[in-house]
Amino acid sequence: MNQLGFHVESYLILATLLFSIGAVGFLTRRNLLTQLMSVELMLNAVNLVLVAFNRIHVGTMSGQLFSFFIIAVAAAEVAVGLALVLGFYRIRNSVHSDDADTLRH
Amino acid sequence: MQGILKVFPLNDFALIWGILLFPLVGAIVNGIFGKRLGRSAVTLMALTAIGVPFLASVFSYWVLLRAGGDAGHGHEAAKLYVKGWDWMSLSLPQDAGSTQLEVAFSLDGLSGTMALIVTGVGFLIHLYSTAYMAKDPGYHRFFAYLNLFIFSMLVLILGDSLPVLFVGWEGVGLCSYLLIGFWFGEDKNAQAGRKAFITNRIGDFGLLVAMALLLYYGGALDWTSMSSAAESRFLVPIDLSVGVGRPIGAILEWLGLRYVSAASLIGIFIFLGCAGKSAQLPLYVWLPDAMAGPTPVSALIHAATMVTAGVYLVCRMAPVFVLSPAAMFTVAFVGALTAVFAATIAFAQRDIKKVLAYSTVSQLGFMFLGAGVGAFTAGFFHVLTHAFFKACLFLGAGSVIHAMHGRIHDADASQDMRYMGGLRKYMPVTCWTFVAACAAIVGFPGTSGFFSKDEILLKAYTSSVQLPEHSRTLKLGTEDIVLMQWPSWGPAVLFAMGVAGAVMTAFYMSRLFIGIFMGEFRGWTVVAVAAKSADHAHADDGSREHAGHHGPVAGLELEGTKPSESPWQMTLPLVVLGFLAIFAGLLNAPLLKIAPLEHVLAPLFEHLEGVVLRPDSDLLEHQLVWFGVGAFTVGVGAAIWVYHLKQGKPAEEFAARFSGLYRLVLDKWRVDELYQETVIGALEILADMAVWVDKWIVDGVIARVPAFLVSAAGAILRLFQTGRVQAYASFVVLGLVGIGWYLAMPHAELSVLGDAVSGRYVVSASPGLGYTYRWDENGDGKYESNNYLARTSLDLSLGRAERRTIKLEVANVFGRTDEETIVIERPREDKSGGTTRIDVYNDDSGGLQGVVRKPGTANQGKQP
Amino acid sequence: MMTTIGGIYFSVCAIACLVGALITVLARNPIRGALGLLTTIVGIAGLFLLLRAQFMAAIQLIVYAGAVVVLFVFVILLLGADAHDPTGPGKAKLVRVAGGVLLSASVGVAGYLVAPELAEHPMPFVAAPAGHGSVAAVGSLLFTEGLVPFELATALLIVAVVGAIALARGRSENKAVVAEPHATLRLFHGPVHSRDAGYPLPKGTDR
Repeated sequence: MNQLGFHVESYLILATLLFSIGAVGFLTRRNLLTQLMSVELMLNAVNLVLVAFNRIHVGTMSGQLFSFFIIAVAAAEVAVGLALVLGFYRIRNSVHSDDADTLRH
Repeated sequence: MQGILKVFPLNDFALIWGILLFPLVGAIVNGIFGKRLGRSAVTLMALTAIGVPFLASVFSYWVLLRAGGDAGHGHEAAKLYVKGWDWMSLSLPQDAGSTQLEVAFSLDGLSGTMALIVTGVGFLIHLYSTAYMAKDPGYHRFFAYLNLFIFSMLVLILGDSLPVLFVGWEGVGLCSYLLIGFWFGEDKNAQAGRKAFITNRIGDFGLLVAMALLLYYGGALDWTSMSSAAESRFLVPIDLSVGVGRPIGAILEWLGLRYVSAASLIGIFIFLGCAGKSAQLPLYVWLPDAMAGPTPVSALIHAATMVTAGVYLVCRMAPVFVLSPAAMFTVAFVGALTAVFAATIAFAQRDIKKVLAYSTVSQLGFMFLGAGVGAFTAGFFHVLTHAFFKACLFLGAGSVIHAMHGRIHDADASQDMRYMGGLRKYMPVTCWTFVAACAAIVGFPGTSGFFSKDEILLKAYTSSVQLPEHSRTLKLGTEDIVLMQWPSWGPAVLFAMGVAGAVMTAFYMSRLFIGIFMGEFRGWTVVAVAAKSADHAHADDGSREHAGHHGPVAGLELEGTKPSESPWQMTLPLVVLGFLAIFAGLLNAPLLKIAPLEHVLAPLFEHLEGVVLRPDSDLLEHQLVWFGVGAFTVGVGAAIWVYHLKQGKPAEEFAARFSGLYRLVLDKWRVDELYQETVIGALEILADMAVWVDKWIVDGVIARVPAFLVSAAGAILRLFQTGRVQAYASFVVLGLVGIGWYLAMPHAELSVLGDAVSGRYVVSASPGLGYTYRWDENGDGKYESNNYLARTSLDLSLGRAERRTIKLEVANVFGRTDEETIVIERPREDKSGGTTRIDVYNDDSGGLQGVVRKPGTANQGKQP
Repeated sequence: MMTTIGGIYFSVCAIACLVGALITVLARNPIRGALGLLTTIVGIAGLFLLLRAQFMAAIQLIVYAGAVVVLFVFVILLLGADAHDPTGPGKAKLVRVAGGVLLSASVGVAGYLVAPELAEHPMPFVAAPAGHGSVAAVGSLLFTEGLVPFELATALLIVAVVGAIALARGRSENKAVVAEPHATLRLFHGPVHSRDAGYPLPKGTDR
């Protein structure tokens, strides 16, 4: 099958947009859970870029392989991150990231 | 004799080591092990440590006399010499090479006699101290210091060069400090020790400058080199106004002090050192305070030996001194002035040791008077006689104080003349030896003091130091410099001052004797001195013998023993010294035509051309002696009249009438206070200024400003420490953006490698990811190619003094470009004529044998 | 750009991704955010299918949609009402907004830099060989070149599991003897102990 979709630029633009949305969301929202979900968005955007370029360089599967590992790591990261959120909630009774300021001067 | 010379040849006289090392070993053993060894062992060690050097000195002296006798009168002076080791090599200015300083010792007439005095009198005083300090807990420490002093003094005397003498000089200064402050528990004693040391140091500065000058003008510092060709080396003019600035130069010119000869300058600085060590004006202030030390110390150091080191030095440096009438007259005049000045202070003192201290200063003045007019033998003879009678006086005073202390436990009151009197009944031996020594010092005809003082007075009138005719004017450039001559009023003035000093000496010494030994004993009751009762309570803690006793109480009869004679260890030295004080005059009595000492010292001094005697001096000798006798008579007679016949009433009336003057003299003319206000006050002001600078500028500005800057920076940085992850992440993003921008833009950088000799240069561009390059090689501003290629470097060949402009344009993957320009210039040929380095290779092996530096034609300097 | 089925399919998936992302980022209620995330993930999976990455699509759905999002939902449910964002943006809004704006701007600039190059050198999709993106293809690479990372990822996952459990358990030792609160609360809040004194208990705890 050929010419199934747009050119690779479309994928890149989409991925860029997803990444930006995720990054802005991470920087702006103060809910810890929302921040974690934004991080997931960024990771997904990266995955998309990798797989898209793998479609262009068809000789190897490296892009998808790399993407595979990113997913594995992301899963581990989410698990630990949520455990941290729970721990934080236990101490501070909130999931407001502004409350995590013990490192303040 | 021949046998002896085989073992100890004259130029390698190893016995001198024996003389030097015994006291040193004694000091070390007593100092380190003394406490463990116990009293008797320390006594034995100390006495051996000085007895053996005395015997060795006697032996060496005998060898010297025999050797000198063989050489005959008028020849080069005999000298026993031994070399230790090479000390250091100093390079001389003006490319004169270098001189080797050696540690060597020598014994000739002058130093041999001095060594006999030091070890002989020293032995007697050591013996005396075994009884005087018997109850002191610091017994071993005392003898350690005393032995160390003897060692240093011997180094000073026997040193063959000025640096070795200086080592001894400093050593005796140190021991003086240690011994003055022996009872350092009391602050007064420690302060006296410090004062002595610091005043000495001021004089030592003069000595060091003199050493530098000697090295500069003379090139050597040992006695033999100094005396040879002294005239040609040291009679050179120095312009003092060079380098001191205009105003001071103008002042010097106005004072007539602009030009001096090197000999004068050296002489003045040496005399500064002597003034410090031998307590002349203006540096005499430490000697009276030094009486805070134990009496044997005062006898040994501050009467017989250390303070005479200055006179010894002047006599040693005679060959240089006689080249300068100015310096010699300064020495004589200051000596005479000091003699009179110190005598006036001695008139009013009540503490017997203080009277003796000022007497020492005064007698030292006499010695310098003698040496200053060129009569080195006379001055040195006075050193000899003074050692005997002054040591006897001090030891006698110590004996008296020892006896009084048993009765009055206050350290100051037991030395006060007002509580003494009539002690001749209780201490006969002390009394008679004191009489003998007093007779010597006042110049009773026939005693040693008479002969020595008389000789000095005579020479003050008849002797002067003058330069030979051809040396009186020196040339400096085109100017003629007339050196200062012996003033015509000099002899008369010096003689008058000397006679005045002799009269005053006779007066106050008789006053002292009468006050202590004649009349009735006044120490049964002690009148409380109100001002002292506040600080007397622990005054005797200083001696550590009678700690805990209370001081005298007003008007009541004191408990305590009657004053009694001292033990034999104290009276035997007194007797010996008293005997010598009377009869040692026979060693140098020109009046009686016997002068063995003169015979010994003559070879050293007789060929000094600068010393000129009046032609009629032989005649005057018999006339001027009556002045000396007259001085004795007047002085002693007046003292007897005032103090013995009239019980001191005229003196009291005088003090009441001229109470201001009396106060001033009693306060030692307030010289100490003057120094305190001016010199020390100035130093304290400097110290305060330094404190202010430290507090406000160093601490305030230099320490606080950076601290403030740091805390301000910290405050600013603290704003970024919010503790919130998002804020940090934002900064990460900002950094990321910056890095990304830098990476996204291309950067063109060029570097050049090449050398001027061959003219080949390589221009390289820094690599980058996806970079392509475009060059402009010939400097016309247009790129060689339109496309960007992968060429990263350029090879160039430049001619001499050619200049090329290279331009580079870089493009990266994103199509952005950046450019850079560089200018390369190949320098001209180097024809400057600077030193060229020629590497000299060994023909055979091909290795680098050496490097020769050839001067270029442009350099007209010296050949290497 | 030809409107083919592929094009429509791409657009649908892309819109799903974007909408889901926006919902995730903008929603107040975290459950809505989680569901938005789910939408994005499913959209991405669809795009993977379009890019002949069948294995990756499956993995995406199984792991991301099936585990990660579920985990998110669990935690949100556990937090209950407190998972909400209490108030609007407060302190240091400026810094975050600035960061966001800057990021977007820089992304735009990057795009601006890249676009001309891309225009000059287009990268078309070429015919993919058979088996591209299949399990066999990825698997063969995984167990040859990617073996070491694979093992390391295994280790990482074990560590993560253990760590997460350890972190989430909290201080379960030294249980204080107190009146038994509600079971969920007890599991959640851990032991009520004097050491926790000073921290307010959540609302609704009856003590």
